[in-house]
Amino acid sequence: MTLDEWLALPDAPEQVELSPSDMRRLFWKYRGLLKTREREHAYWSATNDNLFRAYEKLDHQEQQLAEAFSRLEEELAVAKQIQSALMPSGLDELAPQLELAVWHQQLNAVGGDYFDFFAPTHADAQLLCAVCDISGHGVSAALVMAYLKALFTQSLPHSDEPRAVTEWLNQVALPFLKQAKKYATINFVRIREQELDYVCGGGFGLLIHGQECTSFNRKDHFIGLRDRPFSQHTLPFVAGDLLALYTDGIIEAQNSDGQDYSLARLERTLLAHATLPLDQILERCKADYHSFRSHDVDDITLVLLRRRQR
Amino acid sequence: MSHVKLPEAPTQQLLVHGSTLLGFAQACKNLSIVAGSRASSLINAIDLHQLYPFERLRELERLVIESYIDSAPILERVGQEMMLLWYHEGPGKAFVRDGADFLTFQSGSQGYASVVHGPKELVGSFDLLSLDRERGKALVKSTTPFQKDLERGVLLGGISAPKDLDYIDVDNSADPQLFHVTFH
Repeated sequence: MTLDEWLALPDAPEQVELSPSDMRRLFWKYRGLLKTREREHAYWSATNDNLFRAYEKLDHQEQQLAEAFSRLEEELAVAKQIQSALMPSGLDELAPQLELAVWHQQLNAVGGDYFDFFAPTHADAQLLCAVCDISGHGVSAALVMAYLKALFTQSLPHSDEPRAVTEWLNQVALPFLKQAKKYATINFVRIREQELDYVCGGGFGLLIHGQECTSFNRKDHFIGLRDRPFSQHTLPFVAGDLLALYTDGIIEAQNSDGQDYSLARLERTLLAHATLPLDQILERCKADYHSFRSHDVDDITLVLLRRRQR
Repeated sequence: MSHVKLPEAPTQQLLVHGSTLLGFAQACKNLSIVAGSRASSLINAIDLHQLYPFERLRELERLVIESYIDSAPILERVGQEMMLLWYHEGPGKAFVRDGADFLTFQSGSQGYASVVHGPKELVGSFDLLSLDRERGKALVKSTTPFQKDLERGVLLGGISAPKDLDYIDVDNSADPQLFHVTFH
């Protein structure tokens, strides 16, 4: 029996006679296996050491990541708190002649939708309202929001004329917004005794009078894109009229088939429930939105104003 | 960090064949020393038929050395894998019929000379000094700029690729440039 035949047996036979050359081969085969095992051991030890080191490094990096995430969360919590403080409060005391209701929902901890109410500086006006949507989401948009609020606050003691305020704001903010590569839509509305004046740069506004709907003229430009004049429009706003100001977060949300919620659907919902109390209109709008959209994609703001019956 | 050191000889004027670089990179991928997109970009960036500055190979060697506490057995395995690729997927079978042939192939540095180009004094040599097929002994001297653990692996891989031998050992522990080969 040769060595190869012997090694091919399923079990070792009781006795075997191998030639001297096969015995010699067996010797070297055995030594070869030992040598291979020695090399394999060295290779896998080095590999295991490396793996062990990689796990240690991974643990360390995971810990660093967790710490960074925790710091980020803390900072975002503070930012959220600050942004909440920048949003208007005490709406009921602002304009007793008006009912107000707001649905404001941010996609992230902080956001780029900004709404605000201001007390007018001129006797014939009752309320000033701004709704802006800053490009992008999150912290960068929130910083721009804070900046715009500061500008509104700075400008309003001098004028509450929507066009004058918007043009001044755009002029002052333009260099900063260009540098920051940001822009914002704007709806700025002044409510007077029987009318409202508005400037609309890319924002969305809808006035419902009975069964009649009037959409805001949206042809003006956004804030932060160019230094050009804005146009001011006037509409009647009498007892029972409902004004809705909103950003694109609602209408651009999509269902699972990829269809937009759409402007038309929001207008239909508002019109169908326009005579209900404002908080109920908001609830209907929210319910319809949530039944339609597959997930939120943007910050959402819907401001409702209605002139109270005398 | 690894205790393994790279040869300090200047390599700025040397060029290495793309096939050697690719063999090294592919071996690193096969052994999962590099993985994912890093491995793909490493391999895709090399043209098999081009000559590259030797420093490119040095970078690959450094990649291995800096990744392992003890990189000597890893470099040895990379060298083995390179030669297995050369034999089974490259032109190796045309030059080598059995393990001892691989040693003969090193005579006059002919195997090495085809992959590294440059001034003679910098290229060095990878030369078979003696070969005794009966006793299964050979001596190879290397003055190349390649890392010596890698070269030990190259010898092990090249001699073992035809699978006709029961025992192979390559020992350069006494003098890194002198490889004592035992084979049976």
